[in-house]
Amino acid sequence: MSQSGVDVSPECVSTFNELKLNKKIKFIIFKLTDDYKEIVVEEASENGDWDYFREKLLNAESKSKNGKVGKGPRYAVYDFNYDLASGEGTRSKITFIAWSPDDAGIQPKMVYASSKDALKRSLNGLATEFQANDTDDIEYQSVLAKVSKGLA
Amino acid sequence: MASSQPLTSSVQPTDVYGGDEVSAIILDPGYSSVRAGFAGEDAPKSFISSYYGFHNDRQIFGDDDTHNPLPGMEIRNPMSKDGVVEDWDVAKSLWHYSITSRLVPMKQTDPRTNGLNDDTKDMDVEMEGTEEEEKPLEEHPLLMTETAWNPSKNREKSIEIAMEEWGCPAFWLQRNSVLAAFAAGKATALVVDVGATITSVVCIHDGLILKKSIQKSPLAGNWVSSQIRALWNTSEPKIDLIPHFMIAAKTPVDAGAPAQATYQKFENITDSFRTREEERVLTEFKESVVQVWPGPGRLSSPNPAGTTNVDYVKAQPGRVFEFPNGANQMWNVERMNVVEGLWDEKAAIPIPGEPAVTKGQTIPEMIKASVNAVDMDLRAALLQNVVVTGGTTLINGFTDRLNQELLNMYPGTRIKINAAGLTTERRFGSWIGGSILGSLGTFHQMWISKKEYEEFGAGVVEKRCK
Ligand SMILES: Nc1ncnc2c1ncn2[C@@H]1O[C@H](COP(=O)(O)OP(=O)(O)OP(=O)(O)O)[C@@H](O)[C@H]1O
Ligand SMILES: [Mg+2]
Repeated sequence: MSQSGVDVSPECVSTFNELKLNKKIKFIIFKLTDDYKEIVVEEASENGDWDYFREKLLNAESKSKNGKVGKGPRYAVYDFNYDLASGEGTRSKITFIAWSPDDAGIQPKMVYASSKDALKRSLNGLATEFQANDTDDIEYQSVLAKVSKGLA
Repeated sequence: MASSQPLTSSVQPTDVYGGDEVSAIILDPGYSSVRAGFAGEDAPKSFISSYYGFHNDRQIFGDDDTHNPLPGMEIRNPMSKDGVVEDWDVAKSLWHYSITSRLVPMKQTDPRTNGLNDDTKDMDVEMEGTEEEEKPLEEHPLLMTETAWNPSKNREKSIEIAMEEWGCPAFWLQRNSVLAAFAAGKATALVVDVGATITSVVCIHDGLILKKSIQKSPLAGNWVSSQIRALWNTSEPKIDLIPHFMIAAKTPVDAGAPAQATYQKFENITDSFRTREEERVLTEFKESVVQVWPGPGRLSSPNPAGTTNVDYVKAQPGRVFEFPNGANQMWNVERMNVVEGLWDEKAAIPIPGEPAVTKGQTIPEMIKASVNAVDMDLRAALLQNVVVTGGTTLINGFTDRLNQELLNMYPGTRIKINAAGLTTERRFGSWIGGSILGSLGTFHQMWISKKEYEEFGAGVVEKRCK
């Protein structure tokens, strides 16, 4: 359980295991249900195009307490592949991303941040993770540098 | 008779808390103020000073009464300079006041609805027991915030008060820095909190405080006030700090001209009362005139024009401050000098009788020490997730300067500072975070219930609230 008491639905784990094992799924986006009770899978995609994925995050929405729809945080797992600059082949890193745009409402930001540990702990086999809060943070080049620790 | 009464919420099964029926109360105590309010609300309804009056063996709370020049009234504070409770009897009464004066009425349990399933014989006993007891929070779970360094005996004391004295059905303690980080959307963050009596830097990873990273320093809001006091004492001519309550009437005068005011005389005003009233004037100055040199560099650094930043600032327009007696004066680089010591120990104005500021107490050095105490792999993430909170960070230029100092200290590293644009979010970040958590339906699984407390004792907070 997380610090907010929010739970992780079993499909989060099974979808993640599918991504990990049969390598067809390229990314998964997780969201909190509208009643903030549970973390569920919003989308599992076989499209590995980073910008396609990035757009999904940028367009994510959340409903605030008073019903107003605004920018929304999400969690995501992305099967990130890159070539080593040294020419020693390619690497694959299953990356966890906590996306919380700075201009999202304070309520969704709070609930996502305080529930994150539960999801992360239930996904075994993450190679790396980062938090992202604005469009720059999920720019391909900056992510590549982060995930590869500058070795791409 | 009793069984025909409808259930009141105080006797319903306890699992309704955390639901929509009863709001939890969020209590966020600090050295300068106590913030209290209902979970789910945007801001604390109750905001009262932590300073209290002590008069004829009686405690006086609230802003109206403690600012009243009562002969012989002392002004005290139950919190220590370290930002934790020192005087529990007073803290308890102060918090009780903050809750009952604005949120829930003081109430006595009605014995007729209280002993619902008891037969009449037992009821008489009950009535005697309940008559003298006022348990204001019998219906409200209580979420309290605490500093990262709150000692475990204080944590236990908090749950004892909530459970034993206030009758809370459930309790939770949450670190204020963690709440501020969460409210900024971050489970991992480096939190810089500049409050009234204490400045702290704390690294948080996945919602947990990294104990070794905790850094504390007395260079906070009250220290800035004492810098202003030192500035005024050494001004030519020396500035007499006369608080509002002593002014009977004033006429406007030109800048720099002597005041034209008549003063009121009071008998037996204590030094502590006078000091607090002086503090109000210093605070006005701090909030309206003081500014942090935003960088780049320090105030004393040379600049590209071949002079120093001091010369640059001196050539800029200053800002006027009007004292309570109507005298007013223009402040130029001085308004930056009083906060430069937060960043550069050599720039601190010496305060007679107090030890000199050390390098380790400045904000950049605290951050460096904090970051150095955590795992290498985490450092980059922390520097990209710096969360700024606390009232003193509202001083103009604070965030810009922090950014410059970090860029200077960590060249080539990506630095990102998150400072809530809304004043309320910056000042009440921890309270608001608690308010959102405490209003979540799922949070009922977190609360330490009364039953759990009765079974395991006060030590349960150490086990449950990490
Ligand atoms: N706009 C402002 N400009 C400058 N200083 C301000 C402003 N607003 C508040 N302050 C200062 O911030 C301090 C209060 O901040 P805060 O409420 O974070 O402290 P606290 O939590 O009560 O104290 P502590 O954290 O030290 O226990 C006071 O010193 C006050 O003068
Ligand atoms: Mg504080």
